[in-house]
Amino acid sequence: MRLDALSRLVRLSLARERKGAFFSAFGVAMGVGALVFFVGLGLGVGSVIRERIFPTDSRLVDVVPPSVSLGLLGGGKLDTSAVERLRALPGVETTYRKMNVRVPAVTRYDGTFFGSRLRMGMEVLAVGVDPGLVQKDVGLAEAKDFKDPGEGKAIPALISTRLLELYNKTFAPARKLPQLSAEMLIGFGFPVEFNRSYVAATSGGPSTTQQAQVVGASDRAMLAGITIPLETAVRINRAAGADADNYSGVTLVASDPSRVSELVEAVKGMGFEIDDQERRLAENAGAAVTLTTSALALLSILICVLAAVNIAHAMSSSVRARAKEIGVMQAVGASRADVRSIVLAEAAVVGVLGGAAGTAAALLLAFAVDRLATGYLPNFPFKPDSFFAFPWTVVLGGVLLGLVAALAGAYFPSRRAAATDPARTLAG
Amino acid sequence: MIRARDVVKEYEDGEGSRVRVLDGVSLDVEAGDFVAVVGASGSGKSTLLHLLGGLDVHYKGEVEVGGVKLTGLRDTDLARFRNTHVGFVFQSFHLIPNLSALENVLLPSHFGPVTADARKRASSLLERVGLGPKQDRAPVRLSGGERQRVAIARALFGGPRLLLCDEPTGNLDAATGAGVIQLFQELHKEGLTVLAVTHEERMSAVARRVLRLKDARLVEESATTAARVSGGAP
Repeated sequence: MRLDALSRLVRLSLARERKGAFFSAFGVAMGVGALVFFVGLGLGVGSVIRERIFPTDSRLVDVVPPSVSLGLLGGGKLDTSAVERLRALPGVETTYRKMNVRVPAVTRYDGTFFGSRLRMGMEVLAVGVDPGLVQKDVGLAEAKDFKDPGEGKAIPALISTRLLELYNKTFAPARKLPQLSAEMLIGFGFPVEFNRSYVAATSGGPSTTQQAQVVGASDRAMLAGITIPLETAVRINRAAGADADNYSGVTLVASDPSRVSELVEAVKGMGFEIDDQERRLAENAGAAVTLTTSALALLSILICVLAAVNIAHAMSSSVRARAKEIGVMQAVGASRADVRSIVLAEAAVVGVLGGAAGTAAALLLAFAVDRLATGYLPNFPFKPDSFFAFPWTVVLGGVLLGLVAALAGAYFPSRRAAATDPARTLAG
Repeated sequence: MIRARDVVKEYEDGEGSRVRVLDGVSLDVEAGDFVAVVGASGSGKSTLLHLLGGLDVHYKGEVEVGGVKLTGLRDTDLARFRNTHVGFVFQSFHLIPNLSALENVLLPSHFGPVTADARKRASSLLERVGLGPKQDRAPVRLSGGERQRVAIARALFGGPRLLLCDEPTGNLDAATGAGVIQLFQELHKEGLTVLAVTHEERMSAVARRVLRLKDARLVEESATTAARVSGGAP
């Protein structure tokens, strides 16, 4: 049967049965709309968790020394030779070393802070990292290389983007301090006094004060503290008589995400441990979102199934009512396949229109929810601009689901229509 | 034009027993003939018509129409046969109510080969049956006779050589029926083979041959041509 002829017959038929077609399409739209909405919500929230709350890179493996060292029996220190052995593991592309500043440190700030008066004293944790790990996040022109500036010069420091988010959404509003962006903070300097603590005992030696200068913000920076060049941390530890030879951790970059599990096993075999706390948190939160989304998606699919049943019912009634018309079409040259095509094409139009309408409704509803959230929800940490993500696959999938539901519903009615006996229906 | 041999057709009645409505019917109709099939209600006249037109394939025996052997033909080939070789005219007209007269006539074009001037052809057929000015009307706005003329135009659309008519004047008053019968006569004179199942005496009066279906067998009542009828004739 020619496409133009099929299209014309379908148009005529739907025009005649527009009420039934409308209700069938409405059912499909409800199911598809709910599914697209919930999947979009799940993807949006999941993306916030993955990219902002617990940003993880699937190729990274964080190696830490064992919590209990058994000396010769196993477990060891993360010294230079251990790092070399880790780098030599198959599947490792590169390694980044980390060393905590092992002497206590505090900062005392008394001055103007972006237009506000600020007096503050707090403990400072610091970790030194290989520059390659955070190089792309360094924004200050003079600190482009993120390297140790040497004694007496300002230490380049990176702050955590998540810390900045928490400051902006909780601390700043509570203390009436200005909202800050990473760009605003770049160049901000503050003193850090090493070998001094408000809460812990120190080694007893003299304290030294150095200026730190913010050079950027990074997802990979320490959450509660500052991230400085590795060589600076080594220098400070050495000067204070602390361990400056063993690293606090090493980040391995796998050549491919599929090799991560193999690397984890190899690292454990070497007596080291894996710090996967962040990854586990991300996975747990992601799993919770996925589970909730799946439950809601299942409910939506159930609505689609009901829509398909409704279409089956409507189509069956329509086929029964149009038995004579189908018989006439057969008498003037329609084959069984033609009759089946007409019924399926009618359902396909209903399904595509319903699917498209449902998808459009879901997008509109998501937009409205985002607008309401912007206006009425408090500005909590990591609050996204949008709670939804609608990749083109979801949008297209919504329309296709409508089509599939409608075709599934019309399958048996189309067979029944094709089996119409014209001799019987046209008799009399 | 038509060649049927030993055609047997049985139905299952409501109580599960088999009823034979055609019992070894054989029939030959030459091209250009005008045949009326008469018989009591339920004698199998319409069934015979449906078999000859390829609407009913559940029978025993052999049927050949216009050189096409219908027995065992695939559904798509049978559909093509109905589209191009035969035209049906029914007692109840069977027009599609939401289509105009012109669109009803065009209906076969949806299932046949592409023809650039289908609409023009449908229009000229409506002119031919005297409905040129009413071609855009819905069937509900046409009289019974006009509806039957639309149905005849539709039957002629595919250019068939055989017209199969099932009580074509059964729902029409005498005057209107006479007009329709006259139309069939004209079409016959133009070379069309007409086979009509009818109760209408005036219809059988204008036919060149009259066959009667009685006790599931076909009997020649009057033969003005050299047709041969067999299958239980006394």
